[in-house]
Amino acid sequence: MPTKAMFLFLKQLVERPFTNPFPVKHAPKNVTALIDKVQRGEAEINPPVPVPEGFRGKLKYTPERCIGCRLCILVCPANAMEWIPELKKIRHYVSRCMFCALCVDVCPGKKFPGEEKAVKALRMSDEFLLADYNKYSDNLIEEPPEAKEMGV
Amino acid sequence: MTPETLFYAVAFPILGIFLGLTYKGIDRRISARMTSRIGPPIRQPFWDVGKLLLKETVVPENAVKWLFNAMPILAFASSMTLLLYIPFGILKAPLEGYGDLIVILYLLTLQSLAMAVGGFSSGSPFSSVGAQREMVLMMSYEMPLAIVIIGFALLYKSFSLTTIASTPVWTMVSPVAALGVVLLFIALLVVTPAELAKLPFDIAEAETEIAEGMLAEYSGRNLALFYLSDAVRGFAMAAIEAVLFIPFTFSYVFGISLNGAMLYIVESLWFLFKVLIIYIAAVTIVRTSFGRFRIEQASRIFWVHVNLIALLGLALVWLGVR
Amino acid sequence: MPKTAYYIPIGPIHPALKEPIRVEAEVEGERIVRVDVKRGFAHRGIEYMGMKRNAIQTLYLSERICGICSISHPYAFVVTAEKALGIEAPPRAQYIRPIIAELERIHSHILWLGVIAHEMGFDSLLFWTWKGREKVLDLLELLTGNRINYSVYMIGGVRRDLKESHIKAIKDAITYYWKFTEQMKEIILSDPVYKARTRGVAQLSKEMALKLNVVGPVARAAGIRMDIRQDMPYDAYADIDVRAVVPQDIVGEAKGDAYDITMVRIYEIEQSLDIIEYCVDNLPEGKILAIPNYPALLAKIRRTKGEAIGAHEAPRGEVVHYLKFDGRDGPSVWKVIAPSYNNINSWAPLLLGAEVADIPIVVAYIDPCMCCNDRVALLKTPEGKVLGYEYIHKKAVEKTRKIEKEVRG
Repeated sequence: MPTKAMFLFLKQLVERPFTNPFPVKHAPKNVTALIDKVQRGEAEINPPVPVPEGFRGKLKYTPERCIGCRLCILVCPANAMEWIPELKKIRHYVSRCMFCALCVDVCPGKKFPGEEKAVKALRMSDEFLLADYNKYSDNLIEEPPEAKEMGV
Repeated sequence: MTPETLFYAVAFPILGIFLGLTYKGIDRRISARMTSRIGPPIRQPFWDVGKLLLKETVVPENAVKWLFNAMPILAFASSMTLLLYIPFGILKAPLEGYGDLIVILYLLTLQSLAMAVGGFSSGSPFSSVGAQREMVLMMSYEMPLAIVIIGFALLYKSFSLTTIASTPVWTMVSPVAALGVVLLFIALLVVTPAELAKLPFDIAEAETEIAEGMLAEYSGRNLALFYLSDAVRGFAMAAIEAVLFIPFTFSYVFGISLNGAMLYIVESLWFLFKVLIIYIAAVTIVRTSFGRFRIEQASRIFWVHVNLIALLGLALVWLGVR
Repeated sequence: MPKTAYYIPIGPIHPALKEPIRVEAEVEGERIVRVDVKRGFAHRGIEYMGMKRNAIQTLYLSERICGICSISHPYAFVVTAEKALGIEAPPRAQYIRPIIAELERIHSHILWLGVIAHEMGFDSLLFWTWKGREKVLDLLELLTGNRINYSVYMIGGVRRDLKESHIKAIKDAITYYWKFTEQMKEIILSDPVYKARTRGVAQLSKEMALKLNVVGPVARAAGIRMDIRQDMPYDAYADIDVRAVVPQDIVGEAKGDAYDITMVRIYEIEQSLDIIEYCVDNLPEGKILAIPNYPALLAKIRRTKGEAIGAHEAPRGEVVHYLKFDGRDGPSVWKVIAPSYNNINSWAPLLLGAEVADIPIVVAYIDPCMCCNDRVALLKTPEGKVLGYEYIHKKAVEKTRKIEKEVRG
């Protein structure tokens, strides 16, 4: 018995699939080999759907602009910010972050000589492919470079 | 045992499994495209079977172990035997002369029965409910299926599939009987998804209701055997329909006369094409465009509507033949 | 005589359930003769966490109460907090908030249509409806910066303004969804299998609905005219004459079954489109935050004492929040009532006498959100004695020490 749904699906049969084949159309035989190849630039993956302007992705931290006001620690709902008393800077754990961008809103930033307006130390990037094996990997922790050298 | 029998015994199951899984792959691909997805590669069913064969086979603690393990083998064996009764295009069926449509009817039933018994013996409440549903469903769709076969027996005065395949049904009937045959075809097309446990009649395996029902406790090799028998049965069912209702050969349709090896190759491919068309029409499109019925609704559909169509078809055939 | 009654456990993990809950059913053949619903698998102690943090942190914590309608709890929270603190959001913010909330209602209702189709094995309909839902998610991503957790509300306003380009995108989406709802009505409401599976299933009479205290679309499908946006209007809803969508206005009679609730949800999408259109066309100019400085806002919260009850009409029903501010920069008492808590009450009476095949439909027709409604967790000994907090805490500490020892070697 033909129904309206059947005609709809038959129409979709001749249309292009809606799926964005990210990262590849079909599962590769060896996933790690493919990742290695992509990292070496030998293979290409389909890009993900582009994100719009104002997307809240991974938080980026510029330590030089940080004045150590600790406002971000005050408002962060997930307690993803850690205060480093030795440096008077912060450390941000992306694995705890909930991407609300409140810290970006409150960050006063710092004005370098010759600049008209203060630039914030924290900003949201459009990076969102953040999967990692280790939640404490370098990719998922934003901190001043000195912090690692000093071991704090 | 002649070398020829041995050849058939080995080659046919392999060919049947290959074709069954390929058709399943095509079916999945087309169904995916109908829902705007890309779908798996066509060889995906082969990988699925390979993976299932590698997995551990778990037998539940409170299952009847020998019954639980025997049923997948029974289902697989019956679907393999079923395959040997189907004439491939102009090739003769390997077991020609040893049985007929009645045997095919029983072999089709045997598989569903094996699954139901396996479900009952697995000791899980989901499987038991699934097996009960399968039994009810089987009782509902066997009647129209039997009527279709009786209709053909009336036409040909024989139950032999080879006799039926040798003369196209449409060339030997009067217009009244032809209308009857069309009705029988419709009835058989409705029965197909139920016979193959596909939507909208996959009531016995309803995923969201009873968690795959009869197959809930099956895993590893046992599940692979059920999967294979399901794939082969899908192909066999579509092939029987092609033999019964679209019997035209390639040379008959296009008026080209071929000979030698070429004839066999072209006719085989033509047959596979016919089977594919029926498979897509009766299984893929139907299973994509419908939801699942409740068991009592499905029963009513078969007992009332499909039975009426089939009986009307049978009456017309009888009138036409008389 | 063989055993005729089977005991069927549905959940906590089952293909019909997207979140953990347990339905224990005893069936004879296909008919359910005894049923018991057990909840409490998703308690996370969110209210307790909220009472330890400041109000801004708690607002974004409230967004995590529900997984799908991530704006309904913050909306109820800001409405309540503004009432308690005596802050009024600027008019522009009061018009932006309903836009986001109604867009979310559209995506939640389309999601439900897909889920109910999946529950009856109609997966192709699921793929099609979710394909249509993609557009509203993309729009929300453009407006707020994220697809699900919008994080756009703030006590006393909203954090993001609508630009000209955003308004154009909203208008595009509205045109798209007028067409899409029209198509959904045609395809879903006329489908024979859909009708066969939902007509008469999960049928809730008006008296029963009032007795069980169900809310939201479930109550409206039973013919009760109740909607927070109509009964206790807030923000821009006060300017718009929102009327509850009930089946008797659409087809003349309310049956209260799963088919009626489908109808109510599809027509509510159209109502949402009307509301968004109105808000976009009449968007006032001005600022978007009453107190743009967050530390100043926290200071004001610390100075103010007050309590209030506020509510928002979420896609699933009414969300009620109670807040008490008492000299801290966060709430000293926070109580949340989620709509699924009332609606799950309807499961047991509806399942009794139904068929096994109806379980997924009855479970899904209220669009349950388990993680919304668990407020308390009790641990019992096998004898039925409730274990106290101190005892559990002691055991937890002991276990942590044990694991620590094992890990450290």
